[in-house]
Amino acid sequence: MPTVGRGFAVAVMTAIAGFLVVPLLIVSAPVEPVMGVVQKIFYFHVPCAIMMFLSTFVAAAGSLSYLFKGAERGDRLAHAAGELGVLFGACVLVTGPLWGRKAWGVWWQWDARLTSSLLLFLILNGYLLARRYGGPAGKKLAAALSLFAAVDVPLVYKSVDIWRTVHPQTTVVPSLDPAMRPAFWASFALITLVWGILLTLRLRLEDARANVEELQLMVDDLAHDA
Amino acid sequence: MNKPGRPRFIVARWTRALPLLALLGALLSAGAARAQEYVKVENVPREQLPAPQFVAAAYGFIMIAILVYVFVVARRLARTRGDIAELRTQLERATAPGERR
Repeated sequence: MPTVGRGFAVAVMTAIAGFLVVPLLIVSAPVEPVMGVVQKIFYFHVPCAIMMFLSTFVAAAGSLSYLFKGAERGDRLAHAAGELGVLFGACVLVTGPLWGRKAWGVWWQWDARLTSSLLLFLILNGYLLARRYGGPAGKKLAAALSLFAAVDVPLVYKSVDIWRTVHPQTTVVPSLDPAMRPAFWASFALITLVWGILLTLRLRLEDARANVEELQLMVDDLAHDA
Repeated sequence: MNKPGRPRFIVARWTRALPLLALLGALLSAGAARAQEYVKVENVPREQLPAPQFVAAAYGFIMIAILVYVFVVARRLARTRGDIAELRTQLERATAPGERR
């Protein structure tokens, strides 16, 4: 049975410490003059959105290797990443409206960024549903869906530059005030680390399930031979 | 009861009621029109939403979502490892000397 590696344990301890330290950095970061304190949601809303994008790309890469090379490991990676895409997508779609309610006065606005993000979230949910209920062809159908999700990512990212929206533009992060950068990059590092831990954990589950299927086949073969 | 006179009675009542209905309609439409106008009001308190609570709610949601996910995956992993152990035991038992035919 696989044991928890030393590197994994160190990563988990670092993440726990990060969850205690990062809020202090966010609190000590300067207050944005237009939106006020609520702008601090930015420090974890944006990293969660980046992790949603990263999950989608990883799921698409795994799906490509499954579709074109038949790599089962790629399919398992895609499944794990797709689930993380839904998790971080939910974080984005909850923290965003909390920010919007205070900054814009509404919980939701059907503008390009928000709508395309919701669409990406729904496609990722569709991916998981296709895998679960798609029957024998479910894996391939889901893999194709994950490719559509990956195509949506650049659209979500550039939507604020292409269309007129109420959402802040992509220039916000590069032009961030130097006093706000430590809080942002620390939060980004923490969320990325958590993403890595969750992907490792989820991938272990997929590998264990594959092991169960192999063992079950062997047991069935033996029972058949007997 | 004088049956032939009844329709005329109903018409007469409606004829009397119509101006009242028209007046009611006019009053309602005037009310609706008033609701479309913007009137300046002084010293109205601004809607104050507690920003720190919104930030705390957002951070709290992320933490809870991640913790719940870790818990769910850990449970599924423990169950799957239990299945692996059980299947290995079955295999060992089936392949043990004297067990196979």
